[in-house]
Amino acid sequence: MLLELDHISKIYGSLHAVDDLSLTVPEGEWLAIVGSSGSGKTTLMNMIGCMDTPSKGSVSLEGRKLEDLNATQLADVRKNLIGLVFQKFYLVPHLTAVENVMVAQYYHSVVDEKQAMEALDKVGLAERAHHLPGQLSGGEQQRVCIARALINCPKLILADEPTGNLDEKNEKIVLDLFRELHRQGTTIIVVTHDALVASCAEREIMLNHGVLVGEKWNDDAARAAYEAAGGKPASTGSKAEGAQNGDAPVGFEDPTKAAKTGGE
Amino acid sequence: MAGKPMTSNSRMFFKMLWGAVFRRRSRAIMAVVASMVGAATLFCLTAICIAVPQQMNDEMRSYGANLIVTPIETDGHKTGIDDAMVDHTTEMVRAHGTARYATYRYENVRVNAAPYVMAGVDAAQVRDLNHHWSVDGDWPSNGSVLIGRDVADALGADIGSSITIGYRSSDNSASSSSSSSSSSSSASSSDNAQAQSGSSAPSAPSESGHVSSDIMETKGTDFRVAGIVDTGGNEDSIIYATLNDMQKLTGTKRGADVIEYSASATGDDLTKTVTSINDMTSMHVKAQQVTKITSSDTRIITMLQTLFWIVSLVVLVLTLVGVSTTISSIVSQRGYEIGLRKALGASSRSIGLEFYVESAFYGLIGGLIGTAAGYGLAYVLTTVVFGRTLSLNWPLAIGSVVFSALIAVLASIPPVHRANRIDPAVVLREE
Repeated sequence: MLLELDHISKIYGSLHAVDDLSLTVPEGEWLAIVGSSGSGKTTLMNMIGCMDTPSKGSVSLEGRKLEDLNATQLADVRKNLIGLVFQKFYLVPHLTAVENVMVAQYYHSVVDEKQAMEALDKVGLAERAHHLPGQLSGGEQQRVCIARALINCPKLILADEPTGNLDEKNEKIVLDLFRELHRQGTTIIVVTHDALVASCAEREIMLNHGVLVGEKWNDDAARAAYEAAGGKPASTGSKAEGAQNGDAPVGFEDPTKAAKTGGE
Repeated sequence: MAGKPMTSNSRMFFKMLWGAVFRRRSRAIMAVVASMVGAATLFCLTAICIAVPQQMNDEMRSYGANLIVTPIETDGHKTGIDDAMVDHTTEMVRAHGTARYATYRYENVRVNAAPYVMAGVDAAQVRDLNHHWSVDGDWPSNGSVLIGRDVADALGADIGSSITIGYRSSDNSASSSSSSSSSSSSASSSDNAQAQSGSSAPSAPSESGHVSSDIMETKGTDFRVAGIVDTGGNEDSIIYATLNDMQKLTGTKRGADVIEYSASATGDDLTKTVTSINDMTSMHVKAQQVTKITSSDTRIITMLQTLFWIVSLVVLVLTLVGVSTTISSIVSQRGYEIGLRKALGASSRSIGLEFYVESAFYGLIGGLIGTAAGYGLAYVLTTVVFGRTLSLNWPLAIGSVVFSALIAVLASIPPVHRANRIDPAVVLREE
């Protein structure tokens, strides 16, 4: 398994932002973490992305337990294994699109402008490469963010609400890019509350107030392969109502979709 | 980043620096202006603190001697201090700082049969040492003399008139020579009386400048009165001629009776100078401080310097707090950038290096402009307020630029360190 979460919790005082979650993600899987605002999705993503540490439990990436690593080693894991896509883009405002992509190369290994241009070309932004973020639209900025995440060929793409600030047209462009990456074998974990985005993933898990309340597969072949490889359903040790405690996944209706369709 | 080809990554480093400085101009300008204000204040105040008291000290040194050296004559034979010994003594004085000096050879002479004290001097030396002398006319040159105001009044002499000066060796015998050397050395400064207290009691000139033992003797050499000196002190009773004229008049060549020094050394340094000369008994000279001049100089300069430094330090501390707060706030505003870089895998060291170099750059540019502005301001202040000139103090200028860069870097350490310590997710969430 590429990623293993073993009973992880993130606790702020009396608040359990993530409550005793266990989850395994094999290489090449596209997983969506869904839930309403404040359900703990982003907190979970930050812990997977080595940007935050769990209060309890253990996170393993490629078999390495993150809690055993120091700050420098965590930085190495981030730059070597993970590509991050943020809802707010987080581009350096005084660097051009291509320079923003090159920043990731700079911290990873060697800066190669040609390669950075190719990455921008891949996301359809070659002609906007020398524009500052302030001169780009939201969709274009998100595509720069994706190009930056891809540039070092990470094994895992972590995307937090990647289409949250985009219109439909740009949402489609971004999802097409993810599909392409998935075809190439990149593991993708997307945090979203958008049903359409979640439905593109092979597998979805749902959080509610930090508790795992459901899991469903959108791709039976992927599920079969997962189970054949010894993969188990996600689970939680939480005793909260509706928690998925057992060995079988508990299906769920996407609340956003239900709201949009009137429950049909 | 060991083992990486540094060319492309170094270029990227400077691209990021260039972008941060030139594409965020308003913040960059704010940082540069803050550093500039700091550097200008630092340079201006420090330059004034150093230069003005130093110049005032130099100027006070031109208001008379603070050290006198007289010969010790044991056999009653008056030979004075020869040129070699003057040079040697001067070397010893200058070992503790700069010093100007003038030598005086005193003889008793007669003008219209009345006795006066005549000093053989190097006019340039004496003028350089005594800026406070009010000289009407010219300083002495060969064939002409400078006479004290009291002498001029007694003789009814005026500038351009002629006086006949006679020399009688009997007037300068051992018993009377003490009269000339003592009265004349006391003339060099009223304070010298204290310094000269060890020598035999002088028969000082009366108010009119001559002693009461006049005899009718009027032969001598004619001299033109080049100028009249008026100090309000004993100098008013003396006739000043060149050493050359003195030798011609007396027919003898001998050393100086007094060397007056205006030394830059003060306090303990001056005492050390005196001790070192007096310890060398083989030199046969005696050095003494002119206590009043020395202590008042020291007191005034110390008070001035203390005042300057207190005011300067207070202003400097306030300015530096302002500079560091501004820089610190500018760096703090970029906290999310630090979080982002960390999220992309940057090490704390790498992030620190980028931000510190950027801050140092602001400090350097601000320091350069500020130092130039500070010099201009200090120049105007010293010229207009203190009436003095100010040359550029290069070590201070370089120090000011380096200090500005250092302050800018130091000011950016806490916010960078703070953002570096926090998990990137937290920094990004705060944004």
